[in-house]
Amino acid sequence: MRNRKNLFYAIILLLPAFGLYCAFLLYPIAQSVYMSFFKWKGIMNTPMIYAGIDNYRRVLIDPFFWNSMLNVFWFMAGGFLVLMPLAFGLALVITSKLRGLRFLKTAYFMPVIIPLTAVGLMWVYILQPNWGLFNTILQGLGVKDAAINWLGDPKTAIFSVVLVNEWIYAGFNMLIFAAGIMAIPEDIIESAIIDGASSWQRLWRFTIPLCSESFKIFSILCVTGCLRHFDLVYIMTRGGPNHATEMPTTLLYSQAFVYRNFGQGNAIGVIILVCGLVLTIILNKFLSRED
Amino acid sequence: MAVKRRKISILKGFAYALTSFWAFVTIYPFFITLINSVKVNNEIFGKMFRMPGEWHFEYYAQAFFDARMGRYILNSLTLALMTTAVTAIMGSMAAYVLARTVFRFTKAIYLLFIVGVMLPIHATIIPVAKIVSGLGGIDNYFMLTLVYVTFQLPQAIFLLTGYMKGINREIDEAAMIDGCAMPAILFKIILPISMPMVATASIIVFIFTYSELIFSVILLSKVDLYTVSRGLMYFTGVYTVRMGPIFASIVMAVLPMVLIYVLFHEKVQRGMLAGAVKG
Repeated sequence: MRNRKNLFYAIILLLPAFGLYCAFLLYPIAQSVYMSFFKWKGIMNTPMIYAGIDNYRRVLIDPFFWNSMLNVFWFMAGGFLVLMPLAFGLALVITSKLRGLRFLKTAYFMPVIIPLTAVGLMWVYILQPNWGLFNTILQGLGVKDAAINWLGDPKTAIFSVVLVNEWIYAGFNMLIFAAGIMAIPEDIIESAIIDGASSWQRLWRFTIPLCSESFKIFSILCVTGCLRHFDLVYIMTRGGPNHATEMPTTLLYSQAFVYRNFGQGNAIGVIILVCGLVLTIILNKFLSRED
Repeated sequence: MAVKRRKISILKGFAYALTSFWAFVTIYPFFITLINSVKVNNEIFGKMFRMPGEWHFEYYAQAFFDARMGRYILNSLTLALMTTAVTAIMGSMAAYVLARTVFRFTKAIYLLFIVGVMLPIHATIIPVAKIVSGLGGIDNYFMLTLVYVTFQLPQAIFLLTGYMKGINREIDEAAMIDGCAMPAILFKIILPISMPMVATASIIVFIFTYSELIFSVILLSKVDLYTVSRGLMYFTGVYTVRMGPIFASIVMAVLPMVLIYVLFHEKVQRGMLAGAVKG
């Protein structure tokens, strides 16, 4: 009797959250897979025409799509080559017993909580080619005709956005590594010191291997995060110049809401979804085997 | 010994250099935006790093009224507040069931919620736009709130379930013997105890919702209803005779978040970290 009453209450308490979750997340995901096999112009009451895998074929022969995947790769490369060493380095320092660092920890984290649109806009003007801060400083440092159009030149645009992205997330990822470093039992490091290991050896033989969980979390967040970048690119370049900074998500947006090819948009959505899941599973497997 | 000590001090020096350098790199762009928000164009172009000669505080009034930033900020705060309240209530209701009951379906539902955090929301924007416009919910804050709540629930449920699992079960059992039903136990006993985590989860929901962009782009069309992020998009690549108000707009958009962060930075950091690490 009591159990049945509890079952009733459990369902009542779960229902609002789970209902919404089904209506606006699970059902849309299913819907997006389903709609990716149809052509649809996005107008209510117009028919959806079955198109088989034609939407996927169109996406996969689109050079802009492959360019957007290359940009995802640049985001990942930036993540592992710039963000990871930077965040780990900061975490090492912040967890050491040097004084006066608590304030810094708070400061580093700041960019993450600011709206990405505001941060992006801020950097658009700092990187402005003719009068922006960045080129002004370069000129001041003696680079005479520094007038690089950071965001306007297809060659530099994506790297500029990637670096702004690393600027935003350095403090956040620092905390992930700092949590890993602080979890290392102190006696392990102490006995290493007694055994005469140099700080360099301690870093490579103990600190880094014992933080493998943090590196795993970083890798998964970085890889899945790179696939879904939207806000920053959209505010800074709108995917331009000449589609040079297009991401899969910005392509999805413009295919659907600008060109009204909802089928192709959904096909891109499904590709993002599948890539994300596959990469997460691979990373989980690959990284847990190491320890 | 002397060599060793010198080596340590070099390391220390390097550590301080790295940290102060990064602190400078982090703070400086905000500082630059702040000082340029009161400058005339002549003092901005090529001189962004200089302190203002004339201080044009009226640019803030222009940003607030003419560029409608006041309206957008109020809209975003409203949406964020509604979303936070609904997420906190629905989230704790669900979390309580997921943390306490042992029905076969609860574990499955919990896993489903956790998987939800990994799903890229952008893959859902087309169907969500279709569903919402089918329900006549374009330009409707109530609908937008429900969409926001959906995408904030997994995180909140994860944090709250973890916290509630840590609360001693004997408290529930005692209350049950006294004849309390599940909802009463939740709202009278468990929820008050869980307040620290409800606060943490709420702050994070608030921050995310305040800044949200993509759904405000596809689900809002009336300028009066625009959010901060949607409003700021207007400025991308805009160069006008008066840049000051644009910088002032950025400063105002950022201000509520900075305020929250200054007040609650421990909670913000801990909450975001816990949310990220679950995977």
